[in-house]
Amino acid sequence: MTAQDPHNPAQPGAAAHSEGGMDYLVTRQRRLVTVYLPLAVFTFVLLFPFYWMTITTFKGKEDLYDYERNSPFWVSNPTLANVKKLLFDTAYPEWLWNTMLVAVSATFISLFASVFAAYAIERLRFKGSRWVGLCIYFAYLVPPSILFIPLATMVFKLQLFDTRLALILTYPTFLIPFCTWLMMGYFRSIPYELEECALIDGATRLEILWKIVLPLSVPGLISAGIFAFTLSWNEFIYALTFVSSSEVKTVPVGVITELVEGDVYHWGSLMAGALFGSIPVAILYSFFVEYYVSGMTGAVKE
Amino acid sequence: MSTATGLSLIGRINNSANALGFLFMLPAAAILLVFLTYPLGLGMWLGLTDTKIGRPGEFVGLENYRSLFGDSVFWLSVFNTMLYTGVASVVKFGLGLWLALLLNQNIRFKSLMRAILLLPWIVPTTLSAIAFWWIYDSQFSIISWALVKLGLINEYINFLGDSWNARWSVIAANIWRGIPFVAISLLAGLQTISPSLYEAATIDGASRWQLFRHVTYPLLTPIIAIVMTFSVLFTFTDFQLIYVITRGGPVNATHLMATLSFQRAIPGGQLAEGAAIAMAMVPFLLAAILISFFGLQRRKWQQGVKD
Repeated sequence: MTAQDPHNPAQPGAAAHSEGGMDYLVTRQRRLVTVYLPLAVFTFVLLFPFYWMTITTFKGKEDLYDYERNSPFWVSNPTLANVKKLLFDTAYPEWLWNTMLVAVSATFISLFASVFAAYAIERLRFKGSRWVGLCIYFAYLVPPSILFIPLATMVFKLQLFDTRLALILTYPTFLIPFCTWLMMGYFRSIPYELEECALIDGATRLEILWKIVLPLSVPGLISAGIFAFTLSWNEFIYALTFVSSSEVKTVPVGVITELVEGDVYHWGSLMAGALFGSIPVAILYSFFVEYYVSGMTGAVKE
Repeated sequence: MSTATGLSLIGRINNSANALGFLFMLPAAAILLVFLTYPLGLGMWLGLTDTKIGRPGEFVGLENYRSLFGDSVFWLSVFNTMLYTGVASVVKFGLGLWLALLLNQNIRFKSLMRAILLLPWIVPTTLSAIAFWWIYDSQFSIISWALVKLGLINEYINFLGDSWNARWSVIAANIWRGIPFVAISLLAGLQTISPSLYEAATIDGASRWQLFRHVTYPLLTPIIAIVMTFSVLFTFTDFQLIYVITRGGPVNATHLMATLSFQRAIPGGQLAEGAAIAMAMVPFLLAAILISFFGLQRRKWQQGVKD
């Protein structure tokens, strides 16, 4: 095992000596300190807030505020009161539904537009396609925090204020550039000869896209879809600005604006809100980890 | 479809790459032009007017920028943004690279580890920020509690009530969220480096540090350039973490340009002033894009020499 490790200069020949076994032990201990220990610390720090979120959700009042009698790292009397309050006394189910609706719609609109745009830029090679590709890249670098004020005035003028449609229409501004960029990378990896054959056989461009290119780029579509969905689920500043009534809010906005009443923080329900808002993305992510990672790293490498 | 006539409209569009390209670009271009390019221009215009919520403004030239120039809160937000971006980006890069190097070793459950460690990046920032808000609570902070129990401090830390404590606290939360992105992207770059290069260098007697300095680092530079550009861009324009954890407080001590812009424009109603603050971020973004551009250039140059 150690011999295959390119970072480990220990040579297998060393085993011929009488201390060969000891040598193995030393490197193993060294690996424990230089690799596994830091990894354990990283894992602990990166995951602790989620653990804390989860156990706080199930803590009752006495667990929540009394660290002396009950260890804060554990729940001695698990309760569902916080969850019950969240689900029945607030509009949380509605926020979940809104978030889902907005995220799914924005994802589909973006995928539709991106697939055509990416195919046009990458394969039709129309006049100025390189320039358009560069513009798409720059569009990805325009952050929502400099667009939300003018967009708010537009949303108001178009009478879309306080509607889900305002979010569905504005989310694609940051989804399309990213998805297009990702799909361009995928289309580039498909051999052009396949399309030439189809062209000779008399297929139209639309048929080629639909019957040849798209079936071959399903992994890319999944990556782009997952990414677009999580980005929409995560979006905050547009949803905070363009929506004001409780029944059209998304989960992040609803939790921040409605579960905090003045100076009284209901930490239990806040944590429950955060937990249940995170679970849908986490589940989706766990099914498609590989696609997500390849989408992320692919976009960076292009 | 149209092969029989050959001259029908559909047939002609199908044969022209330009016409078909235009048609295919239409949905994306329409959305981006209406909801991205136009608002960008509108934002610049708003910054030059005195628009308030519910009242269309008139052109006032650079008046907003002039008043911002003498506004100490604005300069505080610029300072905070610089500090936030600078410290968080450097630490994220350092720790992210370290984590990537650790994950690139022969370890067990590598893909499981990778999947778990990405969680902070995929969970909505607002929601994990709430967890940090609770972790930073002045009375019930688990960090304070643990440190007191360990005997390291005597009294609870006032994380969010003190200017500098609050700044470091939000920076820590941002680092926490950003590490996975940097680490996993750099890991992908590390995995493209051929092991034979390490073998050759090891045979030549290179130490571990030399392996990193003369093999890993040069081959990783192009990806580092892009990852860090994105990281700087996201950090510089961050809004969610600050809005949830401190809302810019205590006494504006943690306001970033993005949160100050929101504060002035939406609750404050001064749309024009908010737009001007947002536009003041553009020069910095351009700088980040240029860095990314030169990073890409350098990669081309390297490939040209190597191959």
